Amino acid sequence: MFSDVAANLLVIISTPELIGLSMLGVGLGIVLGCLPGISSTMSLAILLPITYSMSPEAAMVFLIGVFSSSVYGGSVSAILLNIPGTPGAIVTQLDGYPMARQGKAGEALTYALLASTFGGALGLVLLLVISPLLAAAAMNFRSPEFAAATVFGLTMLAYAAPGSTFKGLMAGLVGLICGMVGFDTVTDVPRFTFGSPALDSGIDLVPLTVGLFGLSEILRNIELGSARTTAVATIGRLMPPLSKILPMWKPMVRGSGIGAVVGAIPAAGSAISVAVSYAQEQRLSKTPERFGKGAPEGIVAPEAANNAGVGGSLIPMMTLGIPGDSMTAILMGALLLHGLRPGPALFAEHPEFIAAVYVALFLALVFTAIFGLAFIRQIVRLMRLPGNVLMVLVALLCIVGAFAIRNNITDVYVMIAFGFIGLVMGRIGIPIAPVAFGLILGPILEENMRRTLILSGGDWSAFVTRPIAAALLAVSLAAVLYPMLSALRRKRRAKT
Amino acid sequence: MKTFNRRRVTTALAILASSAAFAAPALAQDEFPSEPITLVVNWPAGGGGDRAGRVLAQYAEKHAGVSVIVNNVAGAGGSTGVRFVAEADPDGYTLGIFGSSVVNQQYINPNAPAVDSLAPIALFGPDPGALEVRTDTGIETLDDYRKRLEEEPGSLRNGNDAPGGWSYVVAALIEEALDVQMTKVPYQGYSPTVAAIMSGEIETATLPVPQLIDQHEAGDIRILAVTAEDRHYLAPDVPTFKELGVDLVAGDWRAVFAPAGTPDDRLAKLEEIMMATLEDPDFVDAAKNAGFIITPANREATITYIQKADDAIYPVLDAAGLVKARKK
Repeated sequence: MFSDVAANLLVIISTPELIGLSMLGVGLGIVLGCLPGISSTMSLAILLPITYSMSPEAAMVFLIGVFSSSVYGGSVSAILLNIPGTPGAIVTQLDGYPMARQGKAGEALTYALLASTFGGALGLVLLLVISPLLAAAAMNFRSPEFAAATVFGLTMLAYAAPGSTFKGLMAGLVGLICGMVGFDTVTDVPRFTFGSPALDSGIDLVPLTVGLFGLSEILRNIELGSARTTAVATIGRLMPPLSKILPMWKPMVRGSGIGAVVGAIPAAGSAISVAVSYAQEQRLSKTPERFGKGAPEGIVAPEAANNAGVGGSLIPMMTLGIPGDSMTAILMGALLLHGLRPGPALFAEHPEFIAAVYVALFLALVFTAIFGLAFIRQIVRLMRLPGNVLMVLVALLCIVGAFAIRNNITDVYVMIAFGFIGLVMGRIGIPIAPVAFGLILGPILEENMRRTLILSGGDWSAFVTRPIAAALLAVSLAAVLYPMLSALRRKRRAKT
Repeated sequence: MKTFNRRRVTTALAILASSAAFAAPALAQDEFPSEPITLVVNWPAGGGGDRAGRVLAQYAEKHAGVSVIVNNVAGAGGSTGVRFVAEADPDGYTLGIFGSSVVNQQYINPNAPAVDSLAPIALFGPDPGALEVRTDTGIETLDDYRKRLEEEPGSLRNGNDAPGGWSYVVAALIEEALDVQMTKVPYQGYSPTVAAIMSGEIETATLPVPQLIDQHEAGDIRILAVTAEDRHYLAPDVPTFKELGVDLVAGDWRAVFAPAGTPDDRLAKLEEIMMATLEDPDFVDAAKNAGFIITPANREATITYIQKADDAIYPVLDAAGLVKARKK
């Protein structure tokens, strides 16, 4: 495999067209990723027809360039505008945007880029070295494990919410309930739709986050008048000092590890890995109160996780022929159109093609890093626009983004509604991030929990008889009980 | 690596450059079509329905003489996209490529538009169902399968869609045809179902052949039979249910629709464009590589085809207690 990769690397970098295609893919991916509402999946789907006439290798070089760079692109608008460009970037903005507001937009983007590149590289290494192994392990993840992992994610997030844990949980519940709107995933019965066709499609994550984070910020600015109209006036320096970058290696490694492993689990998705890695950094931090106010770890860990997931998600596709998410489903579709079927047979019969995919991912990482560094200053210059002009632009992007995700006008109304909800929640001091997490994790939990019970014939012990599920649930329980017990002890001590 | 072809890459770049420019200016106004045609796909980007729509759109441009743009209008089990087309101006510029869910959803979802709010243009092709089992179950033939379930009803867990989806319907039809009972476990889409049968969470599945052909060839999964008139070209060794003496033909299909009320001359022109595309050898090659079976049929034949599907599906949905609207 390694000699194949090396040989392919030589072939590809000595073919100017392929280098050009990779650069083009990366450029388009960053731009499309930046645009709210254009997810990585959509970028790939839009650009897929261009590859029909290419050779399979050229198509992969181009599409993987788009895939990998759009993940970074998504965090650019998250940091600068507080609107996630792609759903995977929703966590990046929790600290990225506050940092940008403090005039350190350049640094925030550099942190994100460094973490992206590092995470992507680690994902690639894992893909190269242990993909068959990891693929086999990931297959042990069944419905009970998904349910238990989601419970674990929810308990972690209860801590991650800034301020009162109670308020955080309440906000998470709002998200959970929003996740129930629309067709029930198990029985196909419409719920909470009030008989209206508009709500049949449920509440999508993108309109909700764009409204809660993006539009509510604009509304807040209107409310405050001219006092705060300039969003991010100063770029600040681009490079954080080395003494600040070096300690970031730990969050980067942890984030990348979580991202690659979760990415390799079919159907898990990046939203879980970014949420868990953010919550973990906050828990491990000696100064958790800095999170949500511009802590670089809060950018670095989820960003590394998000990008490590790219390599991770290719593992089940390449080794087992199972697309883990909608992005790899499109990549697989592209290969099918060329008569190549990913899976065990492709791995054994066309190792040179598999190697070309690895090289494509490597090139995509290199070009994303180069383009990112070269253009940060230009991108950030956008923020120098007068505040009122910028706000109008952002409002437009919010509307376009909410509409574009499913081309459904209802999503625009949902986005506007959540803009106002976000404004009110901000006023009364309820954190908004848990709403988004609740919406992501709620449906996954419900579906897998109910499916587990169908599989076990209604026997609840199914959750504790499998070791991974039982361990995850035990850790979650401990995480909930520990602070309660210590609070109780403190109370007692206070009495005596 | 011989596969790197300089000319193809250059062509691709040229196509990319030209696609960035705006579509060709409109021709004479009285000629149809003179503006870009929108082809609505009622599923999100990335799935099978989306892939079918995009391949069709790409090759239809040549025969239509105008650009054909894919628009994913997803949500509500496919109904949102169907409603989008049903409510569009019936001028022939908004079309949709929809599957059997147009028929199913009108009974399941009271908010879904009825199938007669659409005018069929041409049949894309069937996407037949199949019955797959894990090889480690020891089941080698359809007979073994039937016996296992007769001895222990519900002992085999089958991965399928939620009740309105078509792989659920295929599973229900198999239960009825063989007079057996399986445990039907719902998954959100094909990829999670493939992952579940590979992990052993379920023993059987009712997915289309292309989803599991590689695992069938590798020996992890055995495709027992397909629910089609003919054997599937990807799995010529697998018999049909009919060959095995079970009268069962079922599965998804796809057709191109315009809103009801589109003028007849425009429907005729669209029929001509679509039939020419569906018979274009380049298109057939591309579609085949993507795992699609292409059996073009004109308007009249498509209407009959859909009516037959409707008659077959209604009793199944009714028996499953899914008919919530338009009761017969």
